[in-house]
Amino acid sequence: MKNLIYGRLNTTGRVLFLLSAALLIASLFFPWWYMNLVAPQYPEGLPMTVYANKIGGRIDIINNLNHYIGMKEIQEEDFPELKYMTYGVSLLAFLAVLTALLRRNWLGLLTAGLGSAGGALGIYRLWYWLHKYGTELDPQAAMKIPPFTPPMIGTNQLANFTTYTGFGLGGYLLGIGILLMVLSLWRFRQWDEKSSSSASLPSSS
Amino acid sequence: MEKRSFSKIVLALAGLLVGLVLAVFITGRVNPSASQEGASFNFSASNTGVADEVVEAALKTYVPPGKLDEYYLFASGGHSGNVFVYGVPSMRRIRTIPVFTKESSVGYGWTAETKEMLGNFTWGDVHHPALSETNGEYDGRWLFVNDNANSRVARIDLDSFTTKQILGPIPNIYGPHGAVFLTPNSEYFMMASRFAGPIPFGKYAPIEKFKDEYYCVLAAIAIDPENGNMSLAWEALLPPWSYDLSDAGKLVSDGWMFLTSYNTEEAYTLLEVNASQRERDYIVAMNWKMLEKAVQEGKYKEIGGAKVIDPRDVPGSTYLIPCAKSPHGVDVSPDGKYIIGNGKLSPTVTVFSFEKFMECIENKDFQGEERGFPIVNYDKVRVAEVEVGLGPLHTQFDDQGYAYTSLFVESAVAKWSLTDFKVVDKVQVHYCPGHLCAAEGDTVSPDGKYLVALNKLAKDKFLSVGPSHPESMQLVDLTSPKMKVLFDNPVDPEPHYAQMIKADKIKTFEVYPKDEQLEGAVYKKEDARVERNGNRVNVYMMSYRSRYYPDVVEVNEGDHVTWYLTNTDFDEDITHGFAICLYDINFEVQPGQTEKIEFVADKPGVYPFYCTNFCSALHQEMQGFLIVKPKDQQ
Ligand SMILES: [Cu+2]
Repeated sequence: MKNLIYGRLNTTGRVLFLLSAALLIASLFFPWWYMNLVAPQYPEGLPMTVYANKIGGRIDIINNLNHYIGMKEIQEEDFPELKYMTYGVSLLAFLAVLTALLRRNWLGLLTAGLGSAGGALGIYRLWYWLHKYGTELDPQAAMKIPPFTPPMIGTNQLANFTTYTGFGLGGYLLGIGILLMVLSLWRFRQWDEKSSSSASLPSSS
Repeated sequence: MEKRSFSKIVLALAGLLVGLVLAVFITGRVNPSASQEGASFNFSASNTGVADEVVEAALKTYVPPGKLDEYYLFASGGHSGNVFVYGVPSMRRIRTIPVFTKESSVGYGWTAETKEMLGNFTWGDVHHPALSETNGEYDGRWLFVNDNANSRVARIDLDSFTTKQILGPIPNIYGPHGAVFLTPNSEYFMMASRFAGPIPFGKYAPIEKFKDEYYCVLAAIAIDPENGNMSLAWEALLPPWSYDLSDAGKLVSDGWMFLTSYNTEEAYTLLEVNASQRERDYIVAMNWKMLEKAVQEGKYKEIGGAKVIDPRDVPGSTYLIPCAKSPHGVDVSPDGKYIIGNGKLSPTVTVFSFEKFMECIENKDFQGEERGFPIVNYDKVRVAEVEVGLGPLHTQFDDQGYAYTSLFVESAVAKWSLTDFKVVDKVQVHYCPGHLCAAEGDTVSPDGKYLVALNKLAKDKFLSVGPSHPESMQLVDLTSPKMKVLFDNPVDPEPHYAQMIKADKIKTFEVYPKDEQLEGAVYKKEDARVERNGNRVNVYMMSYRSRYYPDVVEVNEGDHVTWYLTNTDFDEDITHGFAICLYDINFEVQPGQTEKIEFVADKPGVYPFYCTNFCSALHQEMQGFLIVKPKDQQ
């Protein structure tokens, strides 16, 4: 247990942490999550893509259509996390790089822990927004529909619209990044100088 | 060692995973519908009694649901004042573009902008559509059309298929039928008078003074290469003959233009007889670059607000080429080497060589002169008289060195060779073709493939609709050695000329861009409002599926109302209409567009307004009230 905190990362572990940092930064440039609405008159689909700091896609049109069922307008200002997520991920990447440099296990644990907690929180918030938008419908709306919560990954049918949801490339990069940290801490540590040298011996033979 | 290989495996797996995610992501972006493509179309004719060639023809024109046509055909709508757009080869009418006439289906003629463009005219006679060109090729930017009745010219922007400018009446020009064409780089849109008259407009001269005080002109309308904006550049004075049609020189003959004339007899009554006396009239050949230069040098007179140049003051700019009796169309071959005069009252087309024309000028090989213009030696400049058949009117070209001439009297199209000047094929059309139009058939590189005959009569060809039969267009296949009529298409009156352009050359936009600076535009319902300034009221209204903001507007009787409407549905094909009941107001706003109307609220009472263009499930609810408070209750 003590080793868990005081140990040091070996070279592979450090590389994995660096890779993780790169993936985290890369994730900022790709959508984390997407929703695509397809209907007979929209065969090309109406996409909404969530990035770390913005919402892309044809939001105007989705909002225009959503008003029929009394759904609140989706606008970037209403999502406080969009203002912070870039910083959060950047900080995490910075910590990962720092871990790779200092090789301290405790720092790695802190980073991976923060990352995991952040990921869990993110997934919860996504569910929360989906639930909120799908269930808090204006009772005065022209079209009455039963409240619904679209799945985070999957399809959902509402009137003439089929909704496809899922994580985007950015989301996967983020997830893999955190997984790599965990993996590194799990397998690529060296307990002391001795085991470190014994581990490196065979490679030189 | 174990640890080492484990790390390698993990790294490889991680890399693989990243690669896989990337690959899925990229292929999804590059070609989302890859799996849907490649469906082929199979057909087997099982109906007995249907000839194979009928089935073949049907298959050549059949464009299955979801598939698009290969060409756009822009056909003039004559005195309807419209331009009709068809897809080729299906011959489906895709759109009617109102140009010189109010058209309530799209609310053209009620908005402030279109009302001003139409001026005080309620109709026009669209004759010759001309697509803009770059290096003698269609560039798909603009379509220009002339108004034979009111001496105007209009520009249709092909990114939105709407009329954007009407210029005119162009001074001094009575009935611009002749010489409606663009120069190879769209420098000018040229038009010449069909009717002679005293100039400027409004001047009186007794008809007996026809020879001395009546004139024709050629008007050179300059086109701004950036935005297509038209302005009258200059005019050239011409003898009081009737100018029928014309074409621009291209490649070797670039800089010249060729106009057919009739009534060189200078008759002014019973033209059917009196203008058909001479055996030969003229093709008037003019060097527009020389005339343009002379204008720049100031060799013009100001008449009726136009810079008018007398070509006799510019020696070497204008010559007459004798051409068989009352020629109708004149067409320059794609390589620019031949000028083809279509006989109308003679069964021949006459082929003139541009090279020999230049030689005649150089050697001063003239056979006389008329009204101060040298007449080049007919026997020298002519290279062939092709016996095409009765009533040749117009000629178009393909990519194999053949020319196609419409035969009005014979109701046929003749195909003849530009190499040995022999007729190789003829196809019957029904009936009386005027113009014809081959795919990009008047450019420097025609496509061949299709030809459309624009027929003046269609009796017996369609279900009867009473005494007035439809006119017709017929699609002719040019891909096999024998021409074949593939399809009959009834059309509204009256096709004059058409131009056919490859569909992929036209780039449309679907939604008007948001522009906060735009006069009267409102994009948020908080900004929608009614503003009063004395007895002038401005309404800033926005619309989106399926409501207007505001939806109750109250004004006072006698107010001058300026009403802006912005469609904030930035979504393809979501058009909203706007009509005020009993106020004779009707227009529409395209996605993202802002339109403006102006009217005086001179009728008190309550006037519902509503959306005329079906937009959504709650379209019927898209309505509101204009309340006009009576004078005595204000
Ligand atoms: Cu509407």
